[in-house]
Amino acid sequence: MVLEIVVMVKQVPDSQEVVIDPVTMNLNRSMTRNVTNRADENALEAALQIKDKTPANITVVSMGPPQAESTMIECLARGADRAILVSDRALGGADTYPTGLTVASAISKLDHFDIIFAGEESSDSSTGHVGPGVAEFLGIDQITYCSKIQYEDGYVTAERELEDGTEVVKCPTPVLVTVLLNSNYPRRQTLRRKIDAVRKGMEVWNIEKLELKPEWVGVRGSPTIVRRMQSIKEKQREGKKVTLEQIPDLVKELYEKKIIREVH
Amino acid sequence: MSEFDAIVVGAGPAGTSAASKMASSGMNVLLVERGDPPGSKNVSGGILWGKDLSKLYPDWEKTAPLERFITNKVTGFLTEDSSISIDFKTKRFERQRTGYSVLRTKLDGWLAKKAKDSGATVITGITVDGLARDGNKVIGVRQENDVITSDLVVLAEGANPRIAIDEGLRQPINDHDVAIGIKQVFKFSEQTINERFNLRNGAGFAGEYSLGFLNNGVKAGGFLYTNKDTISLGVVIDIFDLRKDNSTYSFDIMEKFASHPYIAPYIEGGQLQEYSAHLVCEGGIDYVPKLYGNGYLIAGDSAGFSFSNGMMIQGMNYAIASGIAAGETAISAKESNDYSESMLSSYEKKLSSSEVLMDMRNFRGIQNVTWSPLVHEFIPKFTEGILYNMFNETGEPKKHLFEIALENFAGSKYDRKSLVLDLYRMMRRM
Repeated sequence: MVLEIVVMVKQVPDSQEVVIDPVTMNLNRSMTRNVTNRADENALEAALQIKDKTPANITVVSMGPPQAESTMIECLARGADRAILVSDRALGGADTYPTGLTVASAISKLDHFDIIFAGEESSDSSTGHVGPGVAEFLGIDQITYCSKIQYEDGYVTAERELEDGTEVVKCPTPVLVTVLLNSNYPRRQTLRRKIDAVRKGMEVWNIEKLELKPEWVGVRGSPTIVRRMQSIKEKQREGKKVTLEQIPDLVKELYEKKIIREVH
Repeated sequence: MSEFDAIVVGAGPAGTSAASKMASSGMNVLLVERGDPPGSKNVSGGILWGKDLSKLYPDWEKTAPLERFITNKVTGFLTEDSSISIDFKTKRFERQRTGYSVLRTKLDGWLAKKAKDSGATVITGITVDGLARDGNKVIGVRQENDVITSDLVVLAEGANPRIAIDEGLRQPINDHDVAIGIKQVFKFSEQTINERFNLRNGAGFAGEYSLGFLNNGVKAGGFLYTNKDTISLGVVIDIFDLRKDNSTYSFDIMEKFASHPYIAPYIEGGQLQEYSAHLVCEGGIDYVPKLYGNGYLIAGDSAGFSFSNGMMIQGMNYAIASGIAAGETAISAKESNDYSESMLSSYEKKLSSSEVLMDMRNFRGIQNVTWSPLVHEFIPKFTEGILYNMFNETGEPKKHLFEIALENFAGSKYDRKSLVLDLYRMMRRM
């Protein structure tokens, strides 16, 4: 059977060229050119490496304005088989919640999927929400911040980078995997595939196709509102390691210090 | 059967013009560009002279992303303390519009779109690895262990023609054939530029200077062009000199030019938007390679088609003209289904009877004048000395001009004989 792989990608402003508007404190994107989010290139490469060994179909899914076409064509030129851009005026201004809902809805419209790949986070907003959000909306397992991803006989094995070590996780499909930035070397686009991609083009889906209502998505479906932006210094926090047996004591201590409380 | 009638490598003015010409005659054309978007790898001082684009797009002056039409042309010399220049302004240029300032990211994007609209398949973000050959015939391009076949390949790679050199179709670049160009783009309001340069209604300023304040024999020129709401400021430096003198750095020359007392006020308060560098062809006609062979043509900067006689600096118009000539040649080749060397030789014949090769042949060796110590050291300092003595009131009795000139000449390193020779050469060649 052919493995069905989905890769979530996003077009972002080139981070090397981004300028912050001193007045509005927003990213000034007018000057910058748009590129494929680099961690998403690693996600696509992870998918392509599986395809090198196992028969697979790779579908790239993105949400964005029509100019994201260049990213979709680029993914096809690297080796993806199909590209779907979810684009609709109603999607503008979305935060990570409706974005996850939209992408998950698009993926659920596919006939079948085994593995979903996403970059660990986007370089323009760096939340890392959307990948895990999609897994939750679809009700499937997820492995985050992964490198060295392999597939064999219905199982994905991946290494997770943790603060003080590496965790190896093995998980049956369907599963969503978020891929670490720079965890592999994305292959070059080929001229032949790019010619084919330009001729074939991408598919564009709107929210009707996804059976989503305008009030669920975009700015209307977004629970967060940005009031202001500022740079903050990261505080050094005290860390403490406990063993499994010590967890009840830890919970008791946190309760006494009123850091956690009982919820009825 | 080839996959394409023609593959064009490089989507600058030469490549897009060739692709557009061929595609609009119904040829199946692939245009490949490594930059994404087109123009992102390209740098040019930024004045497009001439009306060559009219042949492809009669309405280009209304539709292309042009910045300003040049009405004020300045040619001059800068020394440490002074600026000496000819400042030519004319209403004639306002009526004729013979030159426009352009920004390449915008212009090349537009040109690529026109080529696409003409029917060419435009592929960006891909670097071609080399040519594919069958015997002595070019049959397509190579990329990632794959061959895309075509009856004709037009090489329009720009000033650093890697494929043409690797494939032995042209001599490698040597230091005398190219200069290094550095360019900065500063942002202003349109009104600020109009006020600083005395411009109205879309008119523009183009200044070119010989930088007479450099040491150790390093030679460089500077340019300042006004765009709609930006200024392009840059230098072009002799690479041979730079290599010889280890104490001079290209970016220092850029900084010195930008902070010159009579340049700095023009760009004061501007926000730096771009900083780029590129090779500039300076080799003249002797740097032009064989332009055609079985299954290939070379156009634009790849062929060394750029021109500077100290008064005019041109390249984009030759690129467009050579691209169109390559396209026309290809159309005839397609009609007779013959892409052989003898068929394609008509490309050179076309160029020989056009401005492109006529200018370059006419001004053979001009680079020896434009890059001479005469222009870059002697004239700036000598003229500065004369003008200073003439206009300065010291309370002492005034001298005749000839006397002043003799005194200033005595202070220079030149001997009389080589001055006369160099001046003669300059008059003859310019």
